[in-house]
Amino acid sequence: MSTATEIHYLEDTNLGPKAGGLYRRQNIFTGLAVGIISGFIGWLVSHALLQSSNWGTDMVVTVTMASWVIGFNAGMGTFNAPFRWLRGKDQTHEDELYAAGVSQGGWRYWKYCTDHKVVGTQYLVFVMALFGVGGALAMMIRTQLITPHSTFLDPETYNAIVTIHGMTMIIATIIMVSGPFANFIMPIMIGAKDMAFPRLNAMSFWVIFSAVPPLMATFFLGGVDAGWTTYAPLSVQAPAAMDAFAICIITFVVSVTVAGINTVVTIMTMRAKGMTMGRLPIFVWASMVGGALGLYAMPAFLLDMSMMITDRATGTSFFVNQVGGNGWLWENVFWIMGHPEVYVILIPGVGAILEICSTFARKPVFAYKVAIAGFVGIASLSIMVWAHHMFTTGWAPLLAGPFMVTTELISIPTGIIFLVIVGTLWKGSIWTRLPMYFAYLFLWNFIIGGVTGIYLSDVPADQYFHGDMFVTAHFHYTLLGGAMIGATAGVCYWFNKMTGRMLDEKIGKVAFWFIAIGIQVTYFGQFWEGFQGMPRRVAYYDPIFLHANQMSTAGAYVLMLGWLIFLYAMIHSWRNGEIAPPNPWHARTLEWLIPTPVPLENFLVDPVVTEDPYGYGDTPPPGQLAPFAEPEPEREPELVPVGADASASDGGSH
Amino acid sequence: MSSETHDHDAGRVGGPEHDGLEHAGHEIDNYLSGKPFFSRAGGKIFIIWLPMTAVGVLISLFLPHHIFPALLSNQGTDVFETMVFFSILAAPVAAIVYAVGIYSLVAWRPKKHNMSEPPPDGAPQRGDGPLTTIWLVASTALVLVLLVWGITVWSAQQVTHSNTLVVKVIGQQWAWDFQYPGTSVVSHDLMLPVNRPVEFQITSEDITHGFWPVNLGVQVDANPNEVTIIRATPDRMGKFTVRCSQLCGLYHAFMYSPGDVVSSQQFANFLVAQGAKPAAAARLAETQPTISGLSATVAGS
Repeated sequence: MSTATEIHYLEDTNLGPKAGGLYRRQNIFTGLAVGIISGFIGWLVSHALLQSSNWGTDMVVTVTMASWVIGFNAGMGTFNAPFRWLRGKDQTHEDELYAAGVSQGGWRYWKYCTDHKVVGTQYLVFVMALFGVGGALAMMIRTQLITPHSTFLDPETYNAIVTIHGMTMIIATIIMVSGPFANFIMPIMIGAKDMAFPRLNAMSFWVIFSAVPPLMATFFLGGVDAGWTTYAPLSVQAPAAMDAFAICIITFVVSVTVAGINTVVTIMTMRAKGMTMGRLPIFVWASMVGGALGLYAMPAFLLDMSMMITDRATGTSFFVNQVGGNGWLWENVFWIMGHPEVYVILIPGVGAILEICSTFARKPVFAYKVAIAGFVGIASLSIMVWAHHMFTTGWAPLLAGPFMVTTELISIPTGIIFLVIVGTLWKGSIWTRLPMYFAYLFLWNFIIGGVTGIYLSDVPADQYFHGDMFVTAHFHYTLLGGAMIGATAGVCYWFNKMTGRMLDEKIGKVAFWFIAIGIQVTYFGQFWEGFQGMPRRVAYYDPIFLHANQMSTAGAYVLMLGWLIFLYAMIHSWRNGEIAPPNPWHARTLEWLIPTPVPLENFLVDPVVTEDPYGYGDTPPPGQLAPFAEPEPEREPELVPVGADASASDGGSH
Repeated sequence: MSSETHDHDAGRVGGPEHDGLEHAGHEIDNYLSGKPFFSRAGGKIFIIWLPMTAVGVLISLFLPHHIFPALLSNQGTDVFETMVFFSILAAPVAAIVYAVGIYSLVAWRPKKHNMSEPPPDGAPQRGDGPLTTIWLVASTALVLVLLVWGITVWSAQQVTHSNTLVVKVIGQQWAWDFQYPGTSVVSHDLMLPVNRPVEFQITSEDITHGFWPVNLGVQVDANPNEVTIIRATPDRMGKFTVRCSQLCGLYHAFMYSPGDVVSSQQFANFLVAQGAKPAAAARLAETQPTISGLSATVAGS
């Protein structure tokens, strides 16, 4: 009989002095050093060879940025294991343990670490940093728009800021749930010891990390003045910053694709015994659908940006109307990525909200299978709606009708999401802790975002609202008010599991009210601007839009204050918060049944699952998983799986 | 949380053939319970829902008048009516979600319970009752109504008229030029005669712009080497603004032109003042509208 004190934790393994090989010498600083040196060499070589040619500057920037990305990842250790394998060697068990962070303490967060929990935490901090940058840019935009002809920013800087605000937020929102939670929480939820491809997991983080410096470099290369959609042919003529932008996107797509493959394969193959597809927590389903949809969507972005680079640097003319190309080609391929991509952002956030609604209403997820059908329905339809972004481009007017049909059909599976939330709340026993606050805010915002989306799907109405501030307000309501509030609820819910400390709810609730009110004021201001006919992305505006803009800017400052307070709550709690118990919410998914902090490889005894995690009101709550539970005298806890005894289970994962 | 260790075996409903998804009985109990409607949860939510829906409908009817600018064309009226109609349809749907949300916070939040411990579990409803079907049928029906509305309005907008006035629009960084074929007029102002169908033929000299005569309720992009077409019929006189709705570089914000819907006589005078021959100006300005339904075609076909 073992007790909790006798458990051998994998992270206590004593490694030999050479375990890890080259990984021992690599961390973020070697990554930065090798990346910068590599970028410099790339610049020297391309400058010497190509600067004199017609497309010199574009070629030089492209090569320099690509060299940075490859160099940084070489310096981090992304290529170590594949190269060893190519040379006929393989990682030893000790090497793998070292790469998973054994014997490195806090350093592992600065290294190429294959532990999914480290990667999840790295993503969380990185996403917060990205939101900091994107939010600061948003505040500069709103500050410029306080008065009709502000001199705060010149139009060149303003356009660059609008572009980078958009792209930073797109990158941040795509990884805000699939990064921290699908990496840290999801494998535990399905009873796995790690992701299916731990090295690819570490790679996905450090690759996306290396994508951001080129994005920020655009400010010093003339700025991208074409908006985050970078419509051709304007973007083909943009300054050299556009090449760095394209390298950023290509790198970003590699990361998201790798992460998407990893998520899908993990869920398909790494489930614990008895964790059938019908027993998966709804968040796992959402992560899988989101990840799979990303696999469909993101490669189109890579394709589009690759053609953009060749247009700019080598004189192909895919997108230049005057020499045989067509800007509509850019727009089509862009939105074939762009519309599924918003659901890549949204669906995992909705999954987190459903998980939270179930836990805090103390009820099963209502109509679980219908919810899954809703996710799959949204994902399937979302690949057939892209041209609704092009209703007013003049491309294929005959297709306006069909695309109006597919677009409005999406409101049926989206309506299912509301049914599931409302049904889960129905006659629940509502426990109003902080995550639930944000779940209610999600419900409020997402209705507004959804209804305004229906106006825009109607072609005659879209002919008025397209390209104006109404659209801006609409997608901020869905992506900020919906998806990002879902991610915030996820932070409030899983913070204690990820950091080992409780998030301070008093400060969190103050932040909540600022955020909730800030969103409404900011984006109702922008709806008002949109009704009045103010175009998007303008640095100056007609004084008739003054009051709406002032309302929006005032709301933006309230919103900023809310996020800063929330950030303070996170940092404060992370450092000084109350130590978290393993299951503060008395929830039933597997991540709550193991200790906090979570040990390396999560489960010392493989769990066996006998029912879905939503037996509220129906079956007694599961206890802590063996062998972490206090031993009971009459039984041997290390043999007891979750739920009923192992022999009762069919034992099959598909 | 060692106290959370429970008996793992007792009371479990496990196993593959019994995955805990069969609780329809609970819901049927709710639907059939003998209490009067208004003292049940559904009845109370209805009492919250009704005024919320009424407020939503009133807002839908009256707010658009105050926040839209003056809409000067048939297509602008379509936009306005679509917004009102869709808002009225959306009001009860949003209100039902909000009503349940509000009611759940009021009635289903256990009073005086220690916030650090979870309240007792709620009813184990799995959603196997008729509600899901009702919801799906209702939302599908609503979507079909929206689609019929949208496609009807859109098709009506594609009807071409026999005496359409053609205006050529040329976008460039960062100004609009308007040409009136049949005359030599090139203007930075967009003048249109009232009650005369107009077809805009739009192109660009450099990059993509968005031609948006705001108060006419239509827009289409101006693309280099392409001619895109939109049609509108101004039906009220008044000034408006042509804006650019597609980010087009440095001075995108300054790419706008004044527009004016005027009487036929004023339109003719404008053309003459811009250098058109009086005969040509009169010919462009004089024709009265006649709708030719038989020649209806879809734009671009």
